[in-house]
Amino acid sequence: MMAPADDIEDADPGLARERTELAWTRTAISFAALGGVLLKSHPYAGVPILAVSAVIWELGRLARAPGAGYAQPRHLLLITVAVTGVSLAALMLSLLGSGSGGLR
Amino acid sequence: MGWQRGRSSWWDSVGSRDSAGGTEPDARFTFANERTFLAWSRTALALVVAGLAIVQLLPPFPGVPWGRHIIGTPLIVLGSAVAVISYLEWQSNQHALRRREPLTRSRLPRMLAVAITVIGLAAAALALFSAVSR
Repeated sequence: MMAPADDIEDADPGLARERTELAWTRTAISFAALGGVLLKSHPYAGVPILAVSAVIWELGRLARAPGAGYAQPRHLLLITVAVTGVSLAALMLSLLGSGSGGLR
Repeated sequence: MGWQRGRSSWWDSVGSRDSAGGTEPDARFTFANERTFLAWSRTALALVVAGLAIVQLLPPFPGVPWGRHIIGTPLIVLGSAVAVISYLEWQSNQHALRRREPLTRSRLPRMLAVAITVIGLAAAALALFSAVSR
């Protein structure tokens, strides 16, 4: 008879895999929310952000795939580049843009 | 062709698993490192969006026309800094895991706490100043 593992994940690393996929999904939803909010007022910004969100969702499904678990620097770099890009666009908009009178 | 080779070797070094040295760590460690990076990235995105919303959506402070920029712009800059640093820390953690070395302590929590405190105090001062000068 096999002794039970101290940590349930010693027997099944699938939970780590699942948590990681969920983390990717949360990240994709964060981008999707931003893209959706911008879609009406700034479609040129909203559409690319929604596209990035779809790509992140798919990368999360890859994290779930059998044989995953190796470092994928390019996948993570996409997120860093996307956040930095959004940040630069926001900086330009807030410094150069006229600035609205506020939400009414 | 020289530039092309240079370019492809740069790209290989970005994505290669083998260039890191050491041995492949337990997949659970790799997954945990990845989740930490993703959590910081969401934090970074939230900071940027908060800064943008303050500048674009908040009504102007009476008497302080640049007040929204004082609060919002540092949040946007902070967000991009968190995004870049979280990637660098993911990279150094992954290297340490491959070499079975102890992980270095993250600089991000202290950075975030100090920055949020300073920005929060600035926002409070601004709100008071705006109310007094009204």
